[in-house]
Amino acid sequence: MENDAIVFHGTLQQLLGKVESGEMIPKLQASHAPMCKFFTAYYVISGIRHVVPLVHGPTGCPLYMSDFVRTRECCEIRGVPLEPTACTALDESHVIYGGEGKLLEAVKEAYAKYHPDLIVILSCCCSGIIGDDVESIAREAEKLVGCRVLALRSEGFGGDFRSGYEDAFKLIMELMDPPARTMKGTINILGARWGPSPTEFSWDLDEIERLLALVGIKTNAVIAGGCTVEQIRHAREVELNASWCYDWGQKLGDLMQERFGIPYSRTGQPYGVEATKEWLLGVATPLGMEKEALAVIEKETQEVAPDIAYLNQALSGKTAIIEISEFPGPIRALSLARMAAEFGAHPVVINVHPYTIKERMPSIKFLLESGVNPEVILTKGLFRLGSFRSSKETEEELEAIVRQYEKPLFFGNSGRFPPCPVVNLTLMNPMFQPQYGFRGIKNIAALVRQALEHKDLPRSRLFRGMLYGTGTPQ
Amino acid sequence: MEQGPPSKTTGEPSREKCIDPYLRCAFNGAAQTALGISGSALLAHSPQGCEYLVNNAFASQECDYMETVTLCTKLCVDEIVHGGEEMLARTIREARDLPISVLFVISACGPEIVGDDIRAVCETLQPEVKFRLIPIQSPGFRGSQYDGIDIALDTILKSLVKKDTEKVPHSVCLIAPHANANPTWTADLAWAKRVLSRMGIQVVATLTHRTPLSEIEKAASAETSLLLSHDAGQDAVAYLEEAHGIEPVGRGIPLPVGMTNTQRWLSALGERFDKQKAVEEMIAEGERMVMATCRRKWPMARFLYRTPAAIVADATVGIPLVRFVTEEMEMTPELVALYTSHRPVRELLESELKDLKLTPKVVYGTDVFRTRMSLLEVKPRVIFGSTIERHASEGLSPVYIVEVVRMIRQFRMINREYFGYTGILNLFEAVQNEWTMGWRSKERRYGAKW
Repeated sequence: MENDAIVFHGTLQQLLGKVESGEMIPKLQASHAPMCKFFTAYYVISGIRHVVPLVHGPTGCPLYMSDFVRTRECCEIRGVPLEPTACTALDESHVIYGGEGKLLEAVKEAYAKYHPDLIVILSCCCSGIIGDDVESIAREAEKLVGCRVLALRSEGFGGDFRSGYEDAFKLIMELMDPPARTMKGTINILGARWGPSPTEFSWDLDEIERLLALVGIKTNAVIAGGCTVEQIRHAREVELNASWCYDWGQKLGDLMQERFGIPYSRTGQPYGVEATKEWLLGVATPLGMEKEALAVIEKETQEVAPDIAYLNQALSGKTAIIEISEFPGPIRALSLARMAAEFGAHPVVINVHPYTIKERMPSIKFLLESGVNPEVILTKGLFRLGSFRSSKETEEELEAIVRQYEKPLFFGNSGRFPPCPVVNLTLMNPMFQPQYGFRGIKNIAALVRQALEHKDLPRSRLFRGMLYGTGTPQ
Repeated sequence: MEQGPPSKTTGEPSREKCIDPYLRCAFNGAAQTALGISGSALLAHSPQGCEYLVNNAFASQECDYMETVTLCTKLCVDEIVHGGEEMLARTIREARDLPISVLFVISACGPEIVGDDIRAVCETLQPEVKFRLIPIQSPGFRGSQYDGIDIALDTILKSLVKKDTEKVPHSVCLIAPHANANPTWTADLAWAKRVLSRMGIQVVATLTHRTPLSEIEKAASAETSLLLSHDAGQDAVAYLEEAHGIEPVGRGIPLPVGMTNTQRWLSALGERFDKQKAVEEMIAEGERMVMATCRRKWPMARFLYRTPAAIVADATVGIPLVRFVTEEMEMTPELVALYTSHRPVRELLESELKDLKLTPKVVYGTDVFRTRMSLLEVKPRVIFGSTIERHASEGLSPVYIVEVVRMIRQFRMINREYFGYTGILNLFEAVQNEWTMGWRSKERRYGAKW
């Protein structure tokens, strides 16, 4: 394909090679900043019920988190009560003289105020740089209060967003007691972040749990998706760990396997029939419940047979242009590529940033090992200064790319205006969720149907102008 | 490290070591102020997480992402250990082609502690770029968002305002309109500008909201300054008075929320600018409009006569609400919890309470825990606050939570002022909607047959 705007055109494997060799630099431009280690660590920790995440830092750090915790995302809608977002409010004098004394007092105060099951001290830039020994304070404080007190070094400069998730999951392992028994036919689901903060959407987890229940598999804990400290304490009593998203569960799964010998089911996201089947069998087979799982798969497959037939008919021979933007995100996009191929389409993934390749290296490699190696295109707009949302250049580049393919169908979100049917896979529209599992097949079929049947309806001049300005598209 | 002004939130030292704050940090306040200058961009010299505080400030100033770019040096361990000045220089160079007049460089906790000299970097790089480089040292540990607003205003005034400009007769410089917890505070600013225009008073500069650099430069030409916040901006008012002879107006009276406050505020302006007649007309017209509208729409607030109420807010909205709730809505404030605690806030609230002969429980510099405990103790039946108080009042007897300050659940596409006469109706509307929702029953339900 000839196009001046294209920076890379090849396979996912080739892109990975270029990132690994340093030919493509995995660095985001200055206008693009993902969350820091502190935020992501906080997300995971807040997924444990009755926890006080005690931020050892100034007020700015916890406040960003509490915007989520305290607004529409908790209480009425998500059933999560108003939880504390406590901090030690470090000021200049603490920066000069140290804040350890205040932290110790803060832990005692937090216990007295909130009566939590767990307190996790999260250090941030200030306390990290001045060298406050949060781990020692946690050990000391634990003797003085009636709950576990853990500390997590989560300074924002200390790592990228991924390290916050991983270190927090690793810390959670410290809460796991040696097993007193084995819970037969029971698993943990790993990699969730579903506390007061809205990092994940529960529909996909609900679908996974529904399918597991149909097979007869029980779930001890969704770590850390609203689980209790008690459930975490018993986490080593399960027969198997599985992840709701390979990308997020993999680290904890591997660590629990390595340290505790608990097997971990390595499967990708259950998008489409084959991946769903793999996911369910990946859990059921090690538990000796393959027969039951196959029965569930057969029944569920029959129920969505018309949707599968429709997807085969609708996607066969088409080009599925899948763009990674805010939603659906990179790993979901690659899972979608696999699903599109399953239904006979040729997947082309647009704009998976080299930074994403670096940050999600284990998952990318796993997907490649599983045979997911779609055509990938990176455009110049991806590397320009500016917001993802306002990437007018990327929009124009996408439109140009779409024009060059036969029978294109765009999989992404409705914030794009390519000259082809748009399958709106945003996770912000709860009407067509989940996307995982058999119910997901039904929903995706409905979204594809909407896209194809209404492809000739006019797109919104208003929304296009809002997103990209009123200039004439090239 | 430069010594900053005394913190707004620690006017009285809190003995608490573990707090659940309402207010963001100084870094956020500085970003909020800088982003109020149009044709500028902001570079956060910080780890990448701080960029989210910039995003929040961006939204608060209603910036347009097609016009305003924010950048971040995304400092990592290397820069914290070896210094991040080189990274800062590199990022400024990366931004050299941006079509802007000013690039604000705001440093966060990390680089300030390790001693990055952002001023020196900006000075060195200045000849290489076409836009002005303005460094603002406002790390989070310098205080609350209000301290950050003051730090940024101080830097902006000292770096950008031209001296010896000719005074514009009947003119005003508006200060800190963005230090206001009305989630759509820009409507309050717009109202203030409308009434000033009607009085023939020229606004020479607004510090800050969609303010062009040229406006900032001529701020010293204002005859007077008008502070639109009780939470921040006092230092800027004092500086303008001392350095440029700009006379403050409207000092010591609550902002114009409710009929009496609006009357007092407008009258003070009318008196200063010798526009009493115009002001009298505006007051008469405004009060007539409010009464006529209420006659037609029937605000349900009138049924809440002397109902015990709580006000949990910033001082900018909270203090004027005390009179509005007591006088115009005829409820009885039994709890007033304000986010800040500095002396001017205390003095103003105490004078209002004395004047109204009210003796509510008062909490200065409140946090979420203290608010919840105070609500449990006072048991108000109406709360003027935010979504936080909606959740924090769980377990109390049925209460109306009138969400007037951020965070609020209800999204507002249209900006609504609290200031002035339409502001009264906007606040009545908030009460009305809560009153209506209060009739919903979750317990007594049966399903329809069809």
